[in-house]
Amino acid sequence: MEAVQILVDGFAISALYALGAVGFTLLFGVSGVLNLAHGGTLVVSAMIAWLVATDLHLGTLAGAPAGILAGMVFAFATYFAVVRPIQRSRAIPREETEIFILTGTLLWGIMCQTVLAYCFTTNPVTVPALIGGVVPIFGVRTPRNEILIALACWAVIGALWLLINRTRTGKTLLAASINPRGLTLLGFELSRIHLLVWAIYGLLAGVAGVLLATFLGASSDAVGPLTASAFSIVVLGGLGSVGGSLVAAYVVGYLETITAYLVAPTLRAIPALVILILVIYVLPQGLFGRR
Amino acid sequence: MSEARLEVAGLTKRFGGLVAVRDIGFSIAAGEILGLIGPNGSGKSTVMKLIMGIERPNTGSVRLDGAEIAGWPTHRIARAGIGIVFQHSRPLHRQTVLDHIKLALLPDSLLRLAADPAVEGKARTIAARVGLEAVLGRHPGTLAFADLRRLELAKAIAREPSVVLVDEPFAGLTPSEVAGFSELIRSFRDEGKAVLLVDHNVKSVAAMVDRVFAMYLGERIAEGTADSVMRDEKVRRVYLGGSIETAARIRTNGEQARPLLAVEGVSVLYGKAQALDNVSIEVREREFVSVVGLNGAGKTTLFNAISGLVPYRGTIRFAGRTLGTISAASIARAGIVQCPETRELFGAMTVEENLELGGAHLSNAARTEQLAWLLDLFPILAERARQQAATLSGGEQQMLAIARALMMRPRLLILDEPTLGLAPVILEQLSKALARLHTTTEITVLLGEQNVTFALPHADRIYVLEHARIVWEGEPARFAAEAGAQYL
Amino acid sequence: MLRSRLLWATLIILALASTLPLWLSAYILGVLTTAYYFGVFAMSWDLLFGFAGEVNFGPTFLIGLGAYTAALIDNLLGWPIPLCVAAAAVVAVVGGLLLALPALRLHGPYFGLVTLVAVLLLQDVIVIFAHFTGGEIGMTVPDVLSISAGTNYWIALVFLTVSGAALFFYSRSPLGLILQAAGQDPTEAASLGFNVAKHKLAAFSVSAFFSGIAGAMLIFYLGSASVDVVVDLAIAVQIIIAAVLGGRRTILGSVIGGVFLIAAGQVLLPLGQLSTFVVSAVALLVILFFPDGLLGHALRRGEQE
Repeated sequence: MEAVQILVDGFAISALYALGAVGFTLLFGVSGVLNLAHGGTLVVSAMIAWLVATDLHLGTLAGAPAGILAGMVFAFATYFAVVRPIQRSRAIPREETEIFILTGTLLWGIMCQTVLAYCFTTNPVTVPALIGGVVPIFGVRTPRNEILIALACWAVIGALWLLINRTRTGKTLLAASINPRGLTLLGFELSRIHLLVWAIYGLLAGVAGVLLATFLGASSDAVGPLTASAFSIVVLGGLGSVGGSLVAAYVVGYLETITAYLVAPTLRAIPALVILILVIYVLPQGLFGRR
Repeated sequence: MSEARLEVAGLTKRFGGLVAVRDIGFSIAAGEILGLIGPNGSGKSTVMKLIMGIERPNTGSVRLDGAEIAGWPTHRIARAGIGIVFQHSRPLHRQTVLDHIKLALLPDSLLRLAADPAVEGKARTIAARVGLEAVLGRHPGTLAFADLRRLELAKAIAREPSVVLVDEPFAGLTPSEVAGFSELIRSFRDEGKAVLLVDHNVKSVAAMVDRVFAMYLGERIAEGTADSVMRDEKVRRVYLGGSIETAARIRTNGEQARPLLAVEGVSVLYGKAQALDNVSIEVREREFVSVVGLNGAGKTTLFNAISGLVPYRGTIRFAGRTLGTISAASIARAGIVQCPETRELFGAMTVEENLELGGAHLSNAARTEQLAWLLDLFPILAERARQQAATLSGGEQQMLAIARALMMRPRLLILDEPTLGLAPVILEQLSKALARLHTTTEITVLLGEQNVTFALPHADRIYVLEHARIVWEGEPARFAAEAGAQYL
Repeated sequence: MLRSRLLWATLIILALASTLPLWLSAYILGVLTTAYYFGVFAMSWDLLFGFAGEVNFGPTFLIGLGAYTAALIDNLLGWPIPLCVAAAAVVAVVGGLLLALPALRLHGPYFGLVTLVAVLLLQDVIVIFAHFTGGEIGMTVPDVLSISAGTNYWIALVFLTVSGAALFFYSRSPLGLILQAAGQDPTEAASLGFNVAKHKLAAFSVSAFFSGIAGAMLIFYLGSASVDVVVDLAIAVQIIIAAVLGGRRTILGSVIGGVFLIAAGQVLLPLGQLSTFVVSAVALLVILFFPDGLLGHALRRGEQE
């Protein structure tokens, strides 16, 4: 039944979008950075996972951690090479720092894309699934891998939730997103908090990238569109709101899946874009935004 | 009797649940200067923004020469004849002084690609009037502070408005510059303009104003001549917290101890404004020192310099060690903990979570112990432990801010204007808590306050800060006799 | 003083530029022709950003509207080129006003996102209506400006000069002054009696006007219109880089940035994929170390006097 297929596929895709978007929004909420090289983090993780798993024949079990690690390394590279220098630059007036970070990370993303295309060509790569086979869900044959992906995404999101709400480190991050100056007054070095957020971001995006590789595949051409979709989801949900990103990811994921199945696969991105424009015109801060 | 140029009646403005301005009404006649006075948070800046259309009033009316302008967009109000000088200069960095004044003279037309030739001449005349002839070709980045303020005045009067609003006319100016500006503002009045001066305190504008309108917490508390307002009971209570009395002081042997904090010749510049001028103070172990001064005198700047939040010239030593360039967070961890005027609470987190963060650097055992002690010191926080900080009342938030700072077990606690906007009942509770703190712990306290009645009782020593300089130092008993009379 | 130095420098460069067809190859002339249209794209962007203070992440929305309008009208209605270009201008200005409306209510990253989404939507619409527009492959136009490389070059140079002069004088006129105030400090501008919304709409219209015409003329030069050339986000990014490289708020700097980018892209062609990498890397370095851009840096020295 098509309805069930939409339900299941939509769920898995949305979960993947959610994981990617949550990292993106966390980075904005705590560090105030809109990382337009986000797609690069995802694709780098995917490609390295592929490289280790398939090209070097070491299997997915080795490829996955390698990919995640690569994602974290790329995230730190983005921070140290682009974002931090701009934030600390005295030549750039404060009001324009945000714009420069947007432009700088955009450029960095393009650089990443061209290097990936050079090393791996623009052909998409996929990483073999960890679990093969299919499972019938209400009569629809669903790949076990898809279920694993949805579960994995939610497990990571759940772990993040636990981190933020139940650990002291998490509360520090939450406090940083509310009032960084308050933390400085309490003796916390903000520079260390920024490092931590970028590490978590790298981890989240790394996992998302690797899972993406096992599900839909990834190519250097996907860097731009992946950033655009994460950006749209995060703004729709409300910049800085993790919960908002989750909801928005599902809205966008399902809209895309429904469009792909019922209308045409090539038009899948459109309804989400239209909704986005309508929402930000009416509610500029997004569905759950704070600012 | 001249006609009222500007008439404000029943003006009210709410921001969410907060009533910033409640039922404010006054009028200014042509050729009159009205002083709108109030401490931070009194709503005076909001009133100014309401008149200028930068905020829309919820109710009330604003009449300019009889015409109702409340609800009009700002640019229309400006064209109708109101000029405004903001508290902070807002120059365009890439334009010359002459360009700025010319801009103020331009019509709001989309079709004028070339300026009217008369504009240049007019701009020069205006520049000469405010004293900017010498710097017409310079860019704002190269101007002295006073010249930047003159530029703001020039822009405001360029189109000869009938009403001029000036926010904090003399902040950051030297006495001779103040004299020059006073002349200028008086000349506006003499031309028949209605002038509204908005300021923190009566004293700085007393010489110039014809009448004063005093506000507190959004409401009118007094109106009349400068003298009568300065003597008004309610006003004195707001600024001084009542008559100046020194309560029985708890004697410690602080006099003989070594200085814990030594501030030597510290100066701070904000852009061009001198926020602190060669200030030196000393705080000894277990002492309770109060720095008394009105809003804008420099207390917050001093505390921010000590806490490492602003760059400064001069030396600051803590426990013998020069603070120099270490990070603000390190200074806090080293034992200097500030509870700023803005409190900086984590509004979306609970009382308990805020306190836990304060104790993050302690061991688990120490933190639990400290938490228990603080909840005993501030019982109301124990009651509200699970409530979100943003939903607490002003007084409760202040207590939370202090308790959170105390969680860090500071050697030196800096409190910046803890009484701002609090009701007298809360002030009493706060006062008692501070007294307990002083007697039962080893803590050293540096308190910055405008409210003298609050600042005096526990203090071992007082410094008076005025216009970025220390002007008096001594013990509370002498303060009442010597400095108190001139304070307001 | 500086102004007239700038003026003389510009006149000399223009004079030199107009002689180039006499001694450069058709290939290089072609590169410069494209670069000149690109320069107009960048100048229009700089007007909006440097003056109105609005960051437009999708300048290709306006350019694409202009380009495709002209191409469609030429193909479907067969109008002569000048009329197609005029129509392109009208449609682009309407598009610019559509973008301007949210700009009045949204700020910073939110407005930027709207512009970004506008480009993506335009691209999707073009692909959906591939029947008319040729979709991703693009469409050809029956008319072209000229077959001669020299003539095309001069047309582009004249267009660049006229647009540059217009945009430059707009920026330096009282209107430009008001616009700068509106962009830097809307409250202050309003307090001085200026209707900020009105001036921003005007700026959007002007930027859209020149972008749309430039887009239309570009496709009449190339003989074809495709998303890769006039709509793609990659082009949008290059336009922004050109303006920033040349110097925000200088208008003329955008031309320098644009020429540099296009020329560098061509020079580095042998590197293939990596040419984009090198150009982006250089742009990133410039942003990090010379945020004022090339011309901006030079002009700023003059302001410190």
